[in-house]
Amino acid sequence: MTEITVFEARKILTMDPNRPEATHVAVRDGHILAVGGPDCAAQWGEVTHDRSLADKVLTPGFVEGHAHIMASAMWSYAYCGFHDRTDPDGKLWKGRETIEDVVEGLKEYAATLPEGAPIIGWGFDPIFLTSERLNRSHLDEISRDRPIAIIFSNFHLLCANSKAMELAQYDRDTNVEGVLRDAAGEPTGELQEMAAMFPVMRRLGIDFSDLGRKDEVIRRFGEVARREGVTTMTDLFATLEEEDVDRMVRVTSEPGYPLRVVPVMGAVGDSAENIAARAKALRTRSTEKLRLGAVKLMTDGSIQGWTARVKWPGYVGGHPNGIWNLAPEQIFELCEVMHREGVHMHIHVNGDEASEVVIDAIEAAARKSSWPGHRHVLQHCQMMGPDQFRRCRELGLSVNIFANHIWYFGDQHAALTIGEDRARRMDACRSALDAGLNVAVHSDAPVTPLGPLFIAWCAVNRLTGSGRVLGASQRISVKEALYAITLGAAQTLKMDHEIGSIECGKRADFAVLGEDPLALAPEALKDVPVHGTVLGGEVHLL
Amino acid sequence: MRRRLPLTVIGGYLGAGKTTLINRLLAADHGLRIVVLVNDFGAINIDAALLQSADEDTLTLTNGCVCCTMGADLFQAVGKVLDRVPLPDHLVIEASGIADPARIARVAQSEPDLSYAGIVTVVDALEFDRLQGDALIAPQIEGQVRCADMVLVSKIKSLSPALSGALQELSGRTPLLVEDELALRLLLDRHPHRPDFGETETHPAYTRWHGVTDKVLQRETLQGLIAARPEAVFRLKGFVPAPDGLWEVQVVGQQVTLRRIAADIPPGVVAIGRQDTLTKEACERWWQEGLKGLTHED
Repeated sequence: MTEITVFEARKILTMDPNRPEATHVAVRDGHILAVGGPDCAAQWGEVTHDRSLADKVLTPGFVEGHAHIMASAMWSYAYCGFHDRTDPDGKLWKGRETIEDVVEGLKEYAATLPEGAPIIGWGFDPIFLTSERLNRSHLDEISRDRPIAIIFSNFHLLCANSKAMELAQYDRDTNVEGVLRDAAGEPTGELQEMAAMFPVMRRLGIDFSDLGRKDEVIRRFGEVARREGVTTMTDLFATLEEEDVDRMVRVTSEPGYPLRVVPVMGAVGDSAENIAARAKALRTRSTEKLRLGAVKLMTDGSIQGWTARVKWPGYVGGHPNGIWNLAPEQIFELCEVMHREGVHMHIHVNGDEASEVVIDAIEAAARKSSWPGHRHVLQHCQMMGPDQFRRCRELGLSVNIFANHIWYFGDQHAALTIGEDRARRMDACRSALDAGLNVAVHSDAPVTPLGPLFIAWCAVNRLTGSGRVLGASQRISVKEALYAITLGAAQTLKMDHEIGSIECGKRADFAVLGEDPLALAPEALKDVPVHGTVLGGEVHLL
Repeated sequence: MRRRLPLTVIGGYLGAGKTTLINRLLAADHGLRIVVLVNDFGAINIDAALLQSADEDTLTLTNGCVCCTMGADLFQAVGKVLDRVPLPDHLVIEASGIADPARIARVAQSEPDLSYAGIVTVVDALEFDRLQGDALIAPQIEGQVRCADMVLVSKIKSLSPALSGALQELSGRTPLLVEDELALRLLLDRHPHRPDFGETETHPAYTRWHGVTDKVLQRETLQGLIAARPEAVFRLKGFVPAPDGLWEVQVVGQQVTLRRIAADIPPGVVAIGRQDTLTKEACERWWQEGLKGLTHED
């Protein structure tokens, strides 16, 4: 007979309509046995009472349905971004509001590194700075004889110092697209896109895909999750060679690992048939804390990079339409084969033309083979309107909406990318719910910081960085937003029978909060303190 | 100084015939150790007699060639090829069906350990019209042709004037048939001016022209001169006096790379093209007229 633990809390928000609120939850074998008051588990036998969470508020553990392992890997480097961020060890990295701040921060960081080691920063975003662009002379103030590279928040740009430029043999005779030059013809240090960044990255030993393949990065992935109350998180475009899977299985099985990880395999580099076969084979490697078997399709680019495929009237300012990462023909083929083979798909769609092609492709696939419970998920869904949402409902699709964009890029979208009319209706959580869809919201960490309560705050308030409300009609309630980061996201991972709510039979995964989000003003949602998580009944307080 | 690894990128839409070209490159008797990075092995078809070993992501051939899948990170794969000992003779990358080959080929200009050896775009003669009419993908398909240094047309015995004209308009060069043996040799830089690879100096199918000058040229002047070269020059390479040392000139198709080097090499350039489109006289006329009127310090 195994032990029953009854956790007491100030309040428990269950997401279970049969008992929306409670004060006690009984746990046995890592699962929820009963919910209610102090005696909720009386009929099941002897219990042990645990009062360590008695002054906390519990919700179902948050589910991040769209993040990347890079969210923890990037903490191998110094954070230089505009907004405050907390690293996996709990250290707060203050936002850097000017170039001088960035330089000062890196000077301190450089002193902590071994003599001569390259200095690498990440998270810098010039979109927030009104001064001149970051260039190599700024970085030369940090060091002239150690190479320095600052990777920008979108990972498509970096800025190098003179030493790093010299190592890459970039000089005034360099005439390569992506190597920016000043009026005098000298390279500024800013390098755009991988081809131009590669020589510097290679010589400084920066390798994005290798970063995610380290034991400590997988451990840190658990740590960043715990800090934000997340108990289940995706790595939504994973490379899953045998050795990668072995490593993930090994590290996530370590005692006390605080997260269920859902690596979703990128559907690239092979025929559709082989990808489907690989995905199905991966299912058998799943464990309690590692879930395998789904695939991710990349269709278009990003709206802020003007690479998303958008419908008429296109981008403001005359930018040409974006690019396909998969030809529409390939999207149709992949959808057909995955659907036929019963492989669950997460499909990246930023622009409304991309979402339209994908909906067409799913409809075509569904006509050819029947899979009533497919529940494929469209990811980002930033420009979808009620028309596309209604088709999603007809087809049984879920949506995971990139609500953080309103805060991080909303002003830029209104002014620079798709214009005022479409910016007001983007990331349309209200329309999606009204169409009867299952809705999740996500951070795409590290593109924006991990933090489900912050995402929920964005969906509820729709404030932009400049403080205006962008599209008030698309706001959703706090309750709806909390559902989206728990049971809504769990449904997109087909894990809602196990997680997402606090009710008998589910896994004992909780977020441990300092306040009741439903009792606060909607504007305060992002400030609710997170004290850690409970995973399978194991307490992981910060 | 480390030898630079020539990089060729093969672009073209799905089913255009990129893999057929790669199969030929791998199996041909060129004496080069070529590494080819492909998206998947699906259509790679190596004669069993030529196959030395095969594993999950690498095929090793008895002729020294290697074919690898590139995985999710192309640039990481390029880094691994550059770390190979010994360094291969040539690197070929198959761009995915919708990719912009220029975005990949650019690394050959930025990375000092690579040299640019051209973008080849393969076009399916039977499909090009339809693709050009498809508003969803036409810009990307046309972009693949526009950036090509060599356009190879597949699935047809002879080129129609209409298709030829359309492709010429986009790329500025005369398209060739994919079966063209000479095209393959130009691509791999296996032609008469490579006696180091056992080539004879005279091969009737090629025009090889040699020019010299002792005039010191500024970058802009040299760029202007090269821009006016006969279109049928596929390769132009050599050294031209610079204000401080020499310009190392490398031209492949439409791509011009100038590097300033300090070396004691006699100046001179060599142009190579197909004998049926390029004449020595045209080269000579271009060179003389281009240099005429320039002082020794332009």
